[in-house]
Amino acid sequence: MYTGEYLQNILNGISIGSVYAIFALGYTLVFSILGIINFAHGAVFTLGAYLTYSLAVGHFGIGGLLADMQVPFRLSFPLSLLLGSLLSGVFGVLIERCAFRPLRLRGADPLLALVSSLGVALVTINVIQYLVGSEIYSFPSEVYGDIRPAFTFQRGDTTIVLRTVQLIIFAVNMTVLVLLRYLISCTRVGKALRAVAENSSTASLLGINVDRFILYTFFLSGFLGGMAGGLVGTSFGIAGPYFGVSYGLKGLAVIVLGGLGSIPGAVLGGMVIGLAEAFVPSDYSAYKEAVAFAYLFTMLLICPRGLLGRATIEKV
Amino acid sequence: MSVIIQADGLCRNFGGLQAVDSVSFSVNEGEIFGLIGPNGAGKTTLFNLITGLTPVSSGSFSYQGRAITGLPPHRIAGQGIARTFQNIRLFKGLSVLENVRISQHACTRTGLFSGILGLPASRREEREVEEKAWEILKLIGLSGRAAELAGNLAYGDQRRLEIGRALALQPKVLLLDEPAAGMNAAEKQSLTGFIREVRELFHVTMLLIEHHVPLVMGLCDRILVLHFGSMIALGDPAAVQQDQAVIEAYLGAE
Repeated sequence: MYTGEYLQNILNGISIGSVYAIFALGYTLVFSILGIINFAHGAVFTLGAYLTYSLAVGHFGIGGLLADMQVPFRLSFPLSLLLGSLLSGVFGVLIERCAFRPLRLRGADPLLALVSSLGVALVTINVIQYLVGSEIYSFPSEVYGDIRPAFTFQRGDTTIVLRTVQLIIFAVNMTVLVLLRYLISCTRVGKALRAVAENSSTASLLGINVDRFILYTFFLSGFLGGMAGGLVGTSFGIAGPYFGVSYGLKGLAVIVLGGLGSIPGAVLGGMVIGLAEAFVPSDYSAYKEAVAFAYLFTMLLICPRGLLGRATIEKV
Repeated sequence: MSVIIQADGLCRNFGGLQAVDSVSFSVNEGEIFGLIGPNGAGKTTLFNLITGLTPVSSGSFSYQGRAITGLPPHRIAGQGIARTFQNIRLFKGLSVLENVRISQHACTRTGLFSGILGLPASRREEREVEEKAWEILKLIGLSGRAAELAGNLAYGDQRRLEIGRALALQPKVLLLDEPAAGMNAAEKQSLTGFIREVRELFHVTMLLIEHHVPLVMGLCDRILVLHFGSMIALGDPAAVQQDQAVIEAYLGAE
């Protein structure tokens, strides 16, 4: 493998790894508060991808019930991504209200919430399929407006292609990380979130409305999940409503690899899996996921708590 | 003296176990009210009922004349009832200062978004809150270690920090669940002084669960004795000490 190819792989790996990181952060936030995996996160990803597509391109579907429906307006790509992510955040709140909260209030076993979130995921994906069909969507290159879809760097035989969307992904990732870091470590809300994550009943006895903070968390999680969906959709196209499910599984691999409930862990895990996949030769690209999971498995044998996992998860 | 907490026929059963069985009492403002009884008598359950952590099976209680039975814990805390735990429950991943400031959430008026955006009103409030937090840290003798993680403090310091965190809520009623547990004689002595000081400075009414008899007898104005969930005595320390039912509960009947 010569230098150019090497650099190109690293670039691609970091870009896709950034998306995995954003997506996995959504998982890990909910996990750190509730100690449960939200299986509907993959469906939120799908939703975010379709919403971003519809808002940016101006029509809802190719097939399905909404096939001939036009969106009455067209937004620029950044605005579509933002609005799509916000709506996905609202959907995250709905998931909490429908799939998690009723069970929590009845004191149900956390495992049940896992199953109910899986139910929400399947229903959501089926509804999306019913509405917009299962065709493959790709974003037309003009969504970026006047910006070129790709930049090529050439020196001698070495060519490196940097796609605009990769730059956007990387910039969005950095912005999200900085904002999230600020929110969690510097604001009152963040401190309260950390308190709720550590011990929700103690937090409630100190006057913190735990249910409301759980709601905020689901909004944030949905926002991040939807944003990851929108970014992947623009980068690789939307491979039908079920594509969120496979990203959902990969996101799970990312947070387990990084350490459950750890925010830096989710980012690191995303990068590691992104890079591992990028170095899979293109002839074998169909086996990318197998590589990601083989990597996860090997790492867990060496380091069972994940790369940055907490020493013990303490329950009082 | 006005009544601040009034409990009427509080009951709580866990399956067949009657953990708290029709307990009625009232606590006067400014009082240190002791709660004693052998292990498993229902003392901590009673605290859990008052703070809303465990719903009551039947009965009711009121705070400052308002019924607060069935309110969620954060609302009860917000109205001014704070507590500490038998097994210390600090946020070990937060700093000493942050632990104290968490409690002040219920007292702050500005909302979520002004908090995130750092609007002027919210910033002013932050400053006030921070000043109060430092006062409390000074009182509990931890102002020099404000930035340290709470989990790294010595045991006695953690106990005091937990009381400080509860005080930051600006409570009118403070429930202390075995504050002297695990302390040596000297530490228990200084805790007694500390509790008196807290009452003076914060004008707070206290309910105190404690096994250490000299500490309870020395501190409390009145004592309620529980045995298998039922009240067996209520009165001033001297009277309770002489009570035949109490002696039997602790030493067994002859």
